[in-house]
Amino acid sequence: MMHFLTQIINWINVPLNAAGKFLSIPVCSLPGWLSNTLISAVTGVVLLIIFKYTSNQKAIGRVRDNIKADMLALKLFKDSITVTLQSQGRVFKGAFQLLFHAVKPMLVMIIPVSLLLAQMGTWYQSRPLLPGEETVVTLRFNSDIEGPWPKVDIEPTTAVDVTSGPVRIFSKKEICWKIRALEGGYHRIIVQVGQRQIDKELAIGDGFMRISPERPRWHWADILLYPGEKPFGPDSVVQSISIEYPQRPSRTSGTDWWLGYFFVASLVFALIFKPFLKVRI
Amino acid sequence: MPNTDKGKLNRREFLKRSAVTAAAVSTGFGIKRVYAAKKKRLGTGKKVIVIGIDGMDPRLSEQIMNAGKLPNFDKLRKLGGFHVLGTSIPPQSPVAWANFINGAGPGSHGIFDFIHRHPEKQCVPFFAMAETVEGEGYWEIGNHKLQLDFWPFNHKRTATLLRRQGTPFWDYLNEADICSTFYNLPSNYPPSESKHGYHQCLAGMGTPDLLGTYGTYQHFAEDGPLLTKDEGGGKRSMLFFENETAQAKLIGPRNNLLKIPEPAVINFSVYRDIGAKAAVIEIQKHRIVLKEGQWSRWVKLDFEMSTPAFMPNKHIRGICRFYLQEVSPNFRLYVSPINADPSDSALKLTEPPEFIKEISNRLELFYTTGFQEDHKALSNKVFTDEEYRTQADYVLKERLNLLNYALENYDDGLLFFYFSSTDLQAHMFWWDTDEEHPTRSADDAIKYFDHLKGIYRKLDSVVGDILKRYSDKATIIVMSDHGFANFKRQFNLNSWLRENGYIQPTDSTSILRDVDWSKTKAYALGINGLYLNLKGRERDGIVEAGQEREKLIEELISKLEAVKDVNGRSVIRKVHRTDKAYSGPATELAPDMIVGYHRGYRASWATCLGDMTTEVLLDNDSAWSADHCADASEVPGVIFSNKPIGAGAPFLIDVAPSILTEFGLKIPSSMAGRNIFTT
Repeated sequence: MMHFLTQIINWINVPLNAAGKFLSIPVCSLPGWLSNTLISAVTGVVLLIIFKYTSNQKAIGRVRDNIKADMLALKLFKDSITVTLQSQGRVFKGAFQLLFHAVKPMLVMIIPVSLLLAQMGTWYQSRPLLPGEETVVTLRFNSDIEGPWPKVDIEPTTAVDVTSGPVRIFSKKEICWKIRALEGGYHRIIVQVGQRQIDKELAIGDGFMRISPERPRWHWADILLYPGEKPFGPDSVVQSISIEYPQRPSRTSGTDWWLGYFFVASLVFALIFKPFLKVRI
Repeated sequence: MPNTDKGKLNRREFLKRSAVTAAAVSTGFGIKRVYAAKKKRLGTGKKVIVIGIDGMDPRLSEQIMNAGKLPNFDKLRKLGGFHVLGTSIPPQSPVAWANFINGAGPGSHGIFDFIHRHPEKQCVPFFAMAETVEGEGYWEIGNHKLQLDFWPFNHKRTATLLRRQGTPFWDYLNEADICSTFYNLPSNYPPSESKHGYHQCLAGMGTPDLLGTYGTYQHFAEDGPLLTKDEGGGKRSMLFFENETAQAKLIGPRNNLLKIPEPAVINFSVYRDIGAKAAVIEIQKHRIVLKEGQWSRWVKLDFEMSTPAFMPNKHIRGICRFYLQEVSPNFRLYVSPINADPSDSALKLTEPPEFIKEISNRLELFYTTGFQEDHKALSNKVFTDEEYRTQADYVLKERLNLLNYALENYDDGLLFFYFSSTDLQAHMFWWDTDEEHPTRSADDAIKYFDHLKGIYRKLDSVVGDILKRYSDKATIIVMSDHGFANFKRQFNLNSWLRENGYIQPTDSTSILRDVDWSKTKAYALGINGLYLNLKGRERDGIVEAGQEREKLIEELISKLEAVKDVNGRSVIRKVHRTDKAYSGPATELAPDMIVGYHRGYRASWATCLGDMTTEVLLDNDSAWSADHCADASEVPGVIFSNKPIGAGAPFLIDVAPSILTEFGLKIPSSMAGRNIFTT
């Protein structure tokens, strides 16, 4: 089952990555706050439409009307404890009913939103390495690796300079290198593992670039989280390779903050468009 | 038709702009903008650049200049802008730089040594430049205590106070709307507040690390002590590897919110690969890969300080660098003192406080402690000479980056920039004699002294660059606070006082432990200070003011100035009476006498904190093999300028008045100095 789910997400990632690369053009050329705001606006409106057609609008309308009536009752009959308590109870019940009606659209939206966030994370979560900047590359072996480890080394390239490593962490079944970025652009680091060659994407430059911090292992959660590169197969001796990218400092389109900004901005746009699209939420 | 009303504001526009301004001012953004605007408005056009080179020695400077290797300094010399600069009494950096700041002697600023004492507590020492004063009152909650400085609690919070008194010369500049910016200014931590808002300062010497010390490294080794051991300026701990993995604790700032304060610690892991001669360090979210002999870049640390349950925990951010000295057979890892993170500092490192963020936005992370060259690591044999040189050269590299930033952001007014390399590298590498060096071979002594000369040459090119950019636009002053001398023999003043019956009993070992104050007439504390045990001033004083005091002072001076070493050389050049040498309102904590040593001599390491040794005179066996805490006449500083220096014998206290005069201001009555550019 897990293998099947992993395979599904792997397949879905292929067209999504293609679309993500296509979207890279505007994202890379616009200021971060603007691109995130535009994506949030479009997403807010699209999710509102999805909500409209996947939720029971009539039932939601009824619940909201009842809540309004109970609120009015609370105001009009505030001297009557019986009416006040009954109305309050009904307001709470109505709130739970609204939550219940939101479950179905949420279930429909959760997967596309997760896939979208994973794609957005490739732009906003980290920044590319600057030429001259150093970072750490970590290769993880499969946990069931036995016997002596194969000989592992990064192939010489003009894009990076290996300043330290390979350093083996026996207790974690990992190998680390320290590298220094040299040339701007997208590059592939080739790692020779025994007789086999594996590769990992590396982004060097300024501004916004699609970044894949990890070429993931064969696991649905990791493939969802790191959609940028093809995962290693379940039988691969190498489980994953990661590169530590620096954090992007921005309150609208930087590390971690971009997510909060996205949620707030998409909510604001959804609320703005709600009356025009005649959606009840 | 051209719009002639272009520059005019109509009523609506005026109201709109007023509203925008009001909104902006009411936010932090507004404050910053207004501050920046204020700075910009103040351009007077006049430029004065002062480069402070700590410990730059006039003799060595002349020697290298005469050899044609300091062409830019030589150019200034030929213009008449070179002179020996009289230093402070005593010639210690905190005292000397405070003289520079006030344009007056120690009687005006109240700093007389690195170490002072509280006479009401007899002789309890404290750091002279800044003192942390414990708060009063707190509210106990479980294991924590809270100091609430508002009504109805009105607790007094623990605070670090700048001990320098008097009026710093930039106050006069700022009063006249002239901007002043100081980088790494000594004797100004915590930086004093800008009274008029036109002064910026990054604090230098005296700024502590996060442990509250002048710099405490941490050293982890397989042969280290099982329990963490303190060794003046450092801590040593043992690392134990299992499956090539070791766990360790990095000790951070003390959590004063605990009833029994304890330091916050960060656990970290070390993974070594003996075959690769390298290791990986995992600390918080960082993974650091180091080869043997490699330094890490600055690593950000987050120390979490526990607070009472109803409050969120407090976070103090620090930065450190790791240096992997050896992987096998004895794994050794050095961690630099934990500096305050300039991008998010818990300490007030600058005035205004946001100035440090402006610098950090551009330069990211850098040393923020006052003493950046880790001389303690060399003195305690954690570093070799070469390792110290590498670390100290990195400090100079950072300083040069900061200088570039300073020059790029300089428009006009006063710019002061400080270099420490010539002082803290000279303490370890200066050796201008054929005599045997305390710790290194004759060849190495020459090699490292040559390295020091190389720093002079490097600074010559820095000055050359500044001359090229500003020579025709600015008055440029390059100055040092004192010179240098070898430190071959150490004199234990307290042992001498004991031997001569001034400290009792005769078998006492420290003035902080076992002295009989009812029979002790005088004691030494700090590097040059000599105090009488004066009745009415010291808690257990016995020496009467008046005749007895006079007689004792004269007796001590004559005896001390007669002290001879085993080879017949005189040890002490002059003992200064501070009631004659100092004048001003801040002499309360002044020693009664300042002992000025001949070149080659200094107070012993033990005597500085009141300890006594069996011998009065002994060899200095420390890597700290040169010093300047001699007599002021032995180690003067140096001054260069692109303007001829007319004054006959300029002193440090003359620099500030000269700067004020350059800006067309009168020399205030608080200053004792004069203008060096006039005869």
